[in-house]
Amino acid sequence: MIKYTIRRFFVMLFTLFIIATATFFLLAAVPGDALTARTERLQEKTVINLYKKYGLDKPLMERYLITMKGLAVGDFGESIVFEGQTVQSIIRDKGPISARLGLQTMTLGVGVGLILGIIAAMKKGTWIDYAIVTLSILLISIPHLIFGMLLQKVFGAELRWFPIIGWPKGKDLWFGGWEYTVLPTLTGCFSYIASYARLLKTSMLDVMNQDYILTAESKGLSRWQIIRRHVLRNSFIPVMTNLPMSVAMCITGSFFIESIFAIPGFGKYYVEAVSTRDVSIVMGQTVIIAAIYIVVVFLTDILYTVIDPRIRIRGGKK
Amino acid sequence: MAELTKESFKRVEPGRFDSDSIARPTVTYWQDAWRRLKKNPIAMFSLVLLFLCLLMVIFAPSLRGLDYISINSKTKYLEPNSTYWFGTDNLGRDLFSRVWVGARVSLIVAMACTVIQIVVGCAYGGIMAYFGGIVDEIMMRIVEIITSMPSMLITLLIMMVLDKSLGALLLAMCITSWCGTARQMRGMIMQLRESEYVMAAETLGAKPSRIIVKHLLPNTLSILILNVASSIPRYIFSEASLSFLGMGLDSNQISLGVLISNGQAALDLYPHLLIWPAVVLCIIVLAFNLLGDGLRDALDPKLRQ
Repeated sequence: MIKYTIRRFFVMLFTLFIIATATFFLLAAVPGDALTARTERLQEKTVINLYKKYGLDKPLMERYLITMKGLAVGDFGESIVFEGQTVQSIIRDKGPISARLGLQTMTLGVGVGLILGIIAAMKKGTWIDYAIVTLSILLISIPHLIFGMLLQKVFGAELRWFPIIGWPKGKDLWFGGWEYTVLPTLTGCFSYIASYARLLKTSMLDVMNQDYILTAESKGLSRWQIIRRHVLRNSFIPVMTNLPMSVAMCITGSFFIESIFAIPGFGKYYVEAVSTRDVSIVMGQTVIIAAIYIVVVFLTDILYTVIDPRIRIRGGKK
Repeated sequence: MAELTKESFKRVEPGRFDSDSIARPTVTYWQDAWRRLKKNPIAMFSLVLLFLCLLMVIFAPSLRGLDYISINSKTKYLEPNSTYWFGTDNLGRDLFSRVWVGARVSLIVAMACTVIQIVVGCAYGGIMAYFGGIVDEIMMRIVEIITSMPSMLITLLIMMVLDKSLGALLLAMCITSWCGTARQMRGMIMQLRESEYVMAAETLGAKPSRIIVKHLLPNTLSILILNVASSIPRYIFSEASLSFLGMGLDSNQISLGVLISNGQAALDLYPHLLIWPAVVLCIIVLAFNLLGDGLRDALDPKLRQ
């Protein structure tokens, strides 16, 4: 187990290194850079000075080494497009916004999804089951952005119940300004509801067919006891292993929600940085998002062996 | 007690009561799957829906005979009417034709991506499983590294670096997608190679080609079909989302994603510009998802009653 963890840790570092390198050279391969448009009408001397300020006048390999050194110590450099901003300041300012959106979306989506999944599995073959299954297929067939726009149109523009765009600021950052968060949260949570309802239902039905459920029934346990003690515990394994991946996906998934609802979050900033070729910000954010993602995937693998003893035993024998 | 006479006994020809003979014709796996799929009304409905969509995608643009490319200032922002079934857009072009042409582009993109994903995934997975050992180890590490990258980031970066053309979009969406298929294929083939019936076939002297055609292919095909059914809607989604972020196809090209993002700009005043492309996209995706669900039930022998 320890050997495995150490090996995985080095694979993680290596992956991050590759991502950073690939990102750097991809960005370098684009003709022009963030300053091209800005310096079009400036005097030559000013242009040279500007390039010097951001270090863009140095040869490619030297820039690469400087960037990688910076990444290693956590210094990502200053933004070229947004004056005075650094990756750190963007994370400090925008991080909580995206984090709250992600947390709310996931809590609501996964919670409702699991409850619906349990209901569908217990009422298997009835109209409730069919309704839930149909609903979940319907929900995953409507893309985020269409759903978001629909909600904006109906609840924002027509009924005027909620503001169409925006996000709580200042002291309302974490707890407050709920009316702003309702529509984005709803938009985001539907795909979680659909996938978790389906996941838990399939997994529960799978467990219910096992012999030990028959044993439990013949021992005379009540239906509720069987569900709680045997079915739920075993059928939560796929849910537990999917959850961290959802957390990781939620970071990139919120790109769309943030751009529909004009939420000044991490994702919106990233897309802007990519389209303006703000090299240092793109590098920093890519590496950070990738790092979160990789760590989460790594933790999933570890978690997998911790919660399911069967895998641990099999792994130990090897 | 009844008397046993000679008349109570009758000579029976051998073979008349051949209990070993199979009364019903054997049903192959695929016939069985098709039979179960036919019994599923939702899956059949989605098949019909997809077939209709396909017809529309092929014929609808020429059906109305209206101009959907050149600009006409007299017919700007028309509401849906008997000439322009879905109305017209900001430059006076027939939306009905544009939506179906857009659906054609989106479907082509989705299918091309799926084909690339399946072909590359199968080849990669097959090579991993076939060679094993150090080759497998190295190739698996590569897959591990690629899958641990957030795919959205890579897609965005590639779209930025390359121009907003169809080829770039294909590359950007496919570059990470084949890993899942490759892993599945590897696992599947390795498991099949160890299985008893493949060993039996080998013992009976079957040629490798026969084993591949008769045993390996049919057993992996069901997974591949499911892969196709779930991948196509995902690619349609990705295309639409990327275009929405301004990272997909160029805005003068016609695809569902481009139409939707153009429609959002005029959502408040002319909602039909957003609604029709969105509805068509949802119908196509829904049909694929329903079909995929039906196929999952039909192709899994464990679920057979």
